[in-house]
Amino acid sequence: MLLVIVAAGTWYYFSHRATGAGATIPIYYTKLDGKTLASMRVSMRPRQPDESAAERLHNVVLYAAVQAIAGPPHDVQAIRFPPGTRVLDASVNGSTATLDLSKDIELQAGGTFGENGEFKALIYSLTGIEGIDAVQILVEGNRLETLPGGNFELDQPLHRSDW
Amino acid sequence: MNWTNRFIARTGKLASLLSPMLAALAIAVPALADAPLTATYQGQTIRFTQLSSRAGAPAIGVNDPGFAALLSDTGAFLTWKPGERYVLITTSVPTVVSFAIGDRRYDAGPIALQASFAPFLVGDEAYLPLREVLRALDLALHEENGVAVLQPQLAALDVRQEASRVTLFAHGGAMLHARIAQESPTSITYAFDGVGTTLSGTRQVGAGGIGSITITNVGSVRDPITLVTVQLQSGTIAEAPQNIDGRDVLLAFDGAAAVNSQQAATQEASPTPEPPPDTASASGAVNASASGPAIVTGVTVEPAADGVLVAIAIAGSAAYEWHRLREPDNRFWVDIANAQLQGPPTDQTAPAPLLSLRVRQVDPTTVRIALSLSGPKPIAFTSSADGLDLAIGTQDVAGEPHAGSGSIGGASVAAAPLEQSEPGTGSAGDATWKFGPRAGYAATNPRLIVIDPGHGGSDVGTMHGGVSEAQLTLDMAKRLRTILIGRGWEVKMTRESDVDVYAPNDTPRDELQARDDIANKAGARLFVSIHANAFINSGPYGTTCYISKPDDAAFARIVEAHLAADGTKDDGIVKSHLYVTLHARMPAVLIETAFLTNPGDYALLTSSAWRQKVAQEIADGIGEYAQEYPVPDQPAQ
Repeated sequence: MLLVIVAAGTWYYFSHRATGAGATIPIYYTKLDGKTLASMRVSMRPRQPDESAAERLHNVVLYAAVQAIAGPPHDVQAIRFPPGTRVLDASVNGSTATLDLSKDIELQAGGTFGENGEFKALIYSLTGIEGIDAVQILVEGNRLETLPGGNFELDQPLHRSDW
Repeated sequence: MNWTNRFIARTGKLASLLSPMLAALAIAVPALADAPLTATYQGQTIRFTQLSSRAGAPAIGVNDPGFAALLSDTGAFLTWKPGERYVLITTSVPTVVSFAIGDRRYDAGPIALQASFAPFLVGDEAYLPLREVLRALDLALHEENGVAVLQPQLAALDVRQEASRVTLFAHGGAMLHARIAQESPTSITYAFDGVGTTLSGTRQVGAGGIGSITITNVGSVRDPITLVTVQLQSGTIAEAPQNIDGRDVLLAFDGAAAVNSQQAATQEASPTPEPPPDTASASGAVNASASGPAIVTGVTVEPAADGVLVAIAIAGSAAYEWHRLREPDNRFWVDIANAQLQGPPTDQTAPAPLLSLRVRQVDPTTVRIALSLSGPKPIAFTSSADGLDLAIGTQDVAGEPHAGSGSIGGASVAAAPLEQSEPGTGSAGDATWKFGPRAGYAATNPRLIVIDPGHGGSDVGTMHGGVSEAQLTLDMAKRLRTILIGRGWEVKMTRESDVDVYAPNDTPRDELQARDDIANKAGARLFVSIHANAFINSGPYGTTCYISKPDDAAFARIVEAHLAADGTKDDGIVKSHLYVTLHARMPAVLIETAFLTNPGDYALLTSSAWRQKVAQEIADGIGEYAQEYPVPDQPAQ
């Protein structure tokens, strides 16, 4: 009986411990050359004892998406999402994360240069999360083929290999 | 930017200085805790109505209208909905501050912190620790004559050096304006009206013509003034303050003259060369990395199976050296050399046997993590590509060493910037990119080139200075058509006038697919889409060739080589997920010829001679490609 309790306790400890003590995750941004990615690491709280694996993945995806949309501090030269762009929802189905973004994303003034840099950084940030290899973008709940006036195809999940 | 002499003048006194204020608040809290709190902020009155309290500290409901107004006024916003564990606040910096229901820990960018209590739910509404939220918004809550005041703070003053130039980057919790209050050859004082600070004190810089920086707080709670006095070395030039982004001000100093005069004086006094750095170093263990400074991105504390784990996250390679004092002084510190601290200094209280932890940029190139332990505890070091872990045990030990050194990362550790590989030299998985066009596509009309002038009709594309992208792309396309026809090619344009290709006000997909359909149905040899780029500021410029498929790479490489001499910067080839290049079955390239938003590029784009040159270079590229990858029945080149 004691052995069972110890084994159960050990399982509980290892199955609920943090993904890594002092964990950080990389958030990417695209530099103003339009091509080069740089990363900043942001602090990531450990998984909580009552946080299921599915909820944990959802929370990490949400956190990384909000970080990536925010971008680095203003004094860092980077291609940025249009001001006001927000993450309305994040979900995970299999290895695909779906992000619902606010309509502000459509206020593109950056041409191909901006579109490419923004989405590249976002998709690199999310696919850096273990278990995520593709990202589907929605805008206000709708799947778009491209942004208005844009060139970037959005109606299918995006992968790192798209860059 | 070279950050090699960055030092952050934020003070570690924040928590201690906040304490009396917060204590005062706490005294008031019993009255304020569950009753509405009215505070003044920037001349406005903000009323918090959804307050609660935990452990004598105030908590604010995320649906509180006053809280929503405060977030909006400070340029911040909240990401949360009922049922979510995480409550995320994106500040104007931007920094994402992450709270979680039931967890005292909160994260602010790279830093993990402990709140006075864990966020909690009341019904469906999340309540957050107010004082921590205000701190994240660079505000301080004061009380004057019984009135609560949300005082914006001069929250950070980062010192950065690039060669002989030093910049002070000031960030505030409100619009910042640096007024020169006093100036002499040896010092200059800037007044930041309307902001208080907890950064008071003097910091030595000793670089770039700056001796020291002194920060003082004057004025009243309602009308605070923060003074920043910079001691200048002789010859240092203080440039005019620049307001970068409302809440950020840049103070720049050119110390070239000061540095030169110092060097001359040093050479006069001591003609003997200085010893090399390794012999000058006291220990010899901490040497500068050749690859630039490492960035300490965060320090977190986690309970471990037997004690506590302190994880120092580091991007880049660095050497470290550690010291332990002898009992009964159980302090320990580790210095990371040639390193910069990303984010503010931090103080944490932590679980036993760790009593406290401080993280500081102690000099321009050293980050120190100082620990206070409850006894002579064992500390085990583990370095990895991600940083350094300190595992602190709970059992007292004797005879532990009192100093040591090591390295983090190493030559194999990638620095923070991730250089994107060029198409064609990427991962093994896309080895086809190294070769020419795939055999999968065979043009049914190998003499046909389809030219796609970007945008048109109801979609003008980007517009700048009265010039539309649609106009320019049509002009360049027509010029290209004339040249190609002269060389024996057949040419089809997706549009020949200022019209939509599919229909006015159609969907982007219909419009773009219509352009691809023209090329695909005609079995064209090549597809060229011509565009003009834009950005939200005038900085970026240059010509970029965008591609999407392996088939596009060889074609783009040759066209790009010809365009490299077009007179603006050659931005090379970028692989991207662009609709028209993805859905064109033949080799395709989308050429962003130049930036309408850049003055230099604008002058080029509005020059007919330049547009003719670009058309010529694209045509030359098509000709060279056809020679290098010939197919039957193509025109003689």
